[in-house]
Amino acid sequence: MNSMSGANSNRRDFFQLVLGWGAALFAFCASLAGAARFMIPNVLYEPNQRCKLLKPEEYEEGATFIAESRLFLVRKGNTFRAVSGVCTHLGCTVLRNSKGNGFHCPCHGSQFNENAVVTGGPAPRPLPWYLVELSRDGRLVVNAAHVVAADKYLVV
Amino acid sequence: MLKKLWAQLLGTRIGRSVFRVGLPASNLQRAQVAISSFLLHMQPAKVHQRTLKFSTTLGLGLITLYLFFILIITGVLLMFYYVPSTDLAYQSMKDLEFVVTAGMVLRNMHRWAAHLMVIFVMLHMCRVFYTGAYKQPREFNWVIGVILFILTLALSFTGYLLPWDQLAFWAITVGSSIAGYAPIVGEKIKFILLGGHTVGQAALLRFYVLHVVLLPGAALVLIGIHLWRVRKDGGLARPGEPAFTQEELPATALPTTKSYGLMELAHGTTPAVGVEPDDEVFTWPNLIFREILVFMLVVVLLLVLAIFWNAPLEEFANPVHPPNPAKAPWYFLGLQELVSYSALWGGVIVPALIVVALVALPYLDRRRAGIGVWFSRERKVALSIFSICLVTMIVLTIIGSVFRGPNWSFQVPWKPNIVAEER
Amino acid sequence: MASSELRKLYPWFIVAGLAVGGLVILAFYKDQFREWKEWQHAYIKQEMARATNEAQRAAAALIPVEIKQIVLPDVGRIDRCTTCHLAVDDASYSGFKQPLAYHPNHAQHPFEKFACTICHQGQGLAATREAAHGHVEHWERPMLPMKYIEASCAKCHLASDISGAPKLAKGRALFDEIGCIGCHKLKGSGGVIGPELDGVGARRSPEWLAKHFRTPAAVTPGSAMPPIKVTDEEIDALTLYMLSLTEERLDAYYTSMQVLPGPEAGQRLFLEKGCIGCHSLGGQGGKVGPALEGLKGRRDATWIAAHFRNPQATTPGTMMPKFDFTEAQIRALTEFLLTKTEPGAVNLLKFPAQMTPIERGKAVFKKYGCAGCHGRDAMSGVPNPNAKTAQQVPGLKFVSEGYNKAELRKRILGGQKEINKLNPKGPQPPLYMPAWGGKISEGELDDLVEYLMSLLPKTEKTDF
Repeated sequence: MNSMSGANSNRRDFFQLVLGWGAALFAFCASLAGAARFMIPNVLYEPNQRCKLLKPEEYEEGATFIAESRLFLVRKGNTFRAVSGVCTHLGCTVLRNSKGNGFHCPCHGSQFNENAVVTGGPAPRPLPWYLVELSRDGRLVVNAAHVVAADKYLVV
Repeated sequence: MLKKLWAQLLGTRIGRSVFRVGLPASNLQRAQVAISSFLLHMQPAKVHQRTLKFSTTLGLGLITLYLFFILIITGVLLMFYYVPSTDLAYQSMKDLEFVVTAGMVLRNMHRWAAHLMVIFVMLHMCRVFYTGAYKQPREFNWVIGVILFILTLALSFTGYLLPWDQLAFWAITVGSSIAGYAPIVGEKIKFILLGGHTVGQAALLRFYVLHVVLLPGAALVLIGIHLWRVRKDGGLARPGEPAFTQEELPATALPTTKSYGLMELAHGTTPAVGVEPDDEVFTWPNLIFREILVFMLVVVLLLVLAIFWNAPLEEFANPVHPPNPAKAPWYFLGLQELVSYSALWGGVIVPALIVVALVALPYLDRRRAGIGVWFSRERKVALSIFSICLVTMIVLTIIGSVFRGPNWSFQVPWKPNIVAEER
Repeated sequence: MASSELRKLYPWFIVAGLAVGGLVILAFYKDQFREWKEWQHAYIKQEMARATNEAQRAAAALIPVEIKQIVLPDVGRIDRCTTCHLAVDDASYSGFKQPLAYHPNHAQHPFEKFACTICHQGQGLAATREAAHGHVEHWERPMLPMKYIEASCAKCHLASDISGAPKLAKGRALFDEIGCIGCHKLKGSGGVIGPELDGVGARRSPEWLAKHFRTPAAVTPGSAMPPIKVTDEEIDALTLYMLSLTEERLDAYYTSMQVLPGPEAGQRLFLEKGCIGCHSLGGQGGKVGPALEGLKGRRDATWIAAHFRNPQATTPGTMMPKFDFTEAQIRALTEFLLTKTEPGAVNLLKFPAQMTPIERGKAVFKKYGCAGCHGRDAMSGVPNPNAKTAQQVPGLKFVSEGYNKAELRKRILGGQKEINKLNPKGPQPPLYMPAWGGKISEGELDDLVEYLMSLLPKTEKTDF
């Protein structure tokens, strides 16, 4: 191997190696990206954000807990509204308080009044109120993806 | 220029902390790369020239190892979506196919890699036999290899049940029934394996735990030992290697004041350096590079298989309606063919004989002839016996796979028998 | 320094690296290309085109492209049909071409409670057209053709009492009339010559069934079953009824969901609560309350339901007590009263006492499917190759001349396994008389004998 062609072939070797390792790295990254995408689920088996309930007349006066969506449906006469039952502190399910005019969280003692405003404890924000609508077949629908003001009612 | 940059990067404090040796420039460093890296130290710093030649091993053991790694990676990913419940297992298969991104490709890769691994383990064993590579001092490594072969079959078999379709359900029913023919303990083993008398939820859960934890764990440990022994036993068997002698080191030969590391062999003043035989080459880069290349080719092969051929998924498992015929997984079809003549022979004697014969082989065939040589003329008898057994098993498997139709009647594959259903 | 042999491998290294990367990308490209995405884009495009103002256009643009599914864990259904059939609940899409068509008449079977495959079958988990419609290997329940769709009603409703499924009722009636049960067993009763029919709808395809009714031997070589002489329409009805025999019962689930009150539940409740103690129906029952015959013409659902909640509210001063029915029970009872009170619509007891023995015997003849072989009205039998009796199963018109009552009883109870051959060297005739002993009750046998003895008109005496 003379020095001239040696330098040449050296450069070619180096070039090929860089290209080869580049290709290998590219393959590795593509596989990694693929595995990452694989981990993102395309379907969920959890309750729908839009929760279809029974007809308005089936619910009693006051707050009714809807277990499958962890929210309270609050009826006052012919008005309906829905509030999240998930504490804004660390996600525990809140309970109706003993006086029946608000909610409290059993985990860390947060208190919410009947408009779900924090009145005590560590909760940083009021519980969110959700949009309540009437479906075409006359049933209540709570849309947990749509937060509304506490004073927004559905009047039936 | 890039090379310089890379070398500088490796030369920094952080680079040093990760890769002890930078890009090797001297022979000393080439040796150190192999010795100081966890992944590469499985191999000696230098290997014999023969090791690099493809025809020496055909890369079969290496390919098997790669398939095992690929199976672990794809398997772990699949576990994120698989639910081992008779109600949901089949649904998770459908989810992988229809809604999970790349789910089908991963399942295909896992399936084909599993089949390939069974094949490559068998081929690897044939290679070791036909090159006489199990002779002293490698006898026990062959035994470990036999255990790994059985583990591979067990891994494949337990994985077979998990999709909970007709193919899975009946292959496992038939396969575990073959196990039930073993005398005295057979029925007990079957009962414990299935966690009941029939293939049901208990069996699914047991097969799942075996498949994802116990068997791969055992295989991983044994593979480690297997590879370590390959190295300790002097690398690949080669003709004319010095006869094995059990050396007794005098107690005074070892320095007592300090621990004795492998690195010292490569230090400049060690007498071994420089007088190594000329036919030895550095593992880095000669062997490592070839190994990486083989890995890539295996991945290419698997990806092609996985992209263009889907793994089978039949109807949801139906315990009251077996397909006709109900067949075990292909690697048991030779046995199933035998079982169709005699349950005792096919289910007990033949499999027991195969395992016993394989384990005993290196201790029976003790002549130091034909080590490291393909089909050595000095081993005519051993070669003939092994080949006859091998061909018999292959023929039986082929008969069981394609020449058996409904009711296990003989058929020719291009003109399958059709039997009217009696319902 | 790398040896020259090693250098020769460098190009292979590049090729292998590129091949792996390329194949990974190919795999993803293939994976990303999914049929349903095209339909979702088509739907979004359609929504955009229909948008009349900026807000609607913005809403349309925000429609996500994703797999949609209806999950009914209790009945093991996950239906992804709405991934492509995006407008099933949007009436403004009526008349559109599939998959974007509106699904009419779903008020009583809301999608979120019934999903799709409960009625239509197919593979709900799949998300490609071929696989979802189930016309692929290894999927046993492809979509039901629309002409057989009523078969699915039987998963919850009884074939005989659902007004919305006339074809199903027709198939059920034909099944009785033709006497299929003479040879085939269904729900534990029936003959043994042919295979049992429980779950046949899950085992057989509509094509197979229809073909089998026309020429049984075409699908089951050597079948003893005679071809049935009926119209194409009747074959469809019979096929539909067979398809309904899936052994898949979902009514308990839907009743528990308060989705399906079901007239059967109402009928059970009606008998259980002893309504018949005061009210009469089908000529039976007390006279204290009003007769319920023809109630449908007199009262509507609201009135009936209100009357169950509080009888005094609808009929002040009535003697009827206030039962504490649940809303679901009230719905079930109302449903029952609206569908079963047509005159003659329901027999609460099996055979009304006012029937004559001969009439009852005729019903027994039908019940045990004797007509299947001996012909409707017992007049002429079906072919039975190589039987001495003119190669057919004998009609029973002249039975009173060959047998006395005791002999006839014996023949029915004991059967005749060996049929005399026309050609002694020929094959055994496929059909034979099964033994009915142990299956038929004493009273039924008496009635059947009476009926058979009455078949020969008094004027038609022949000499033997």
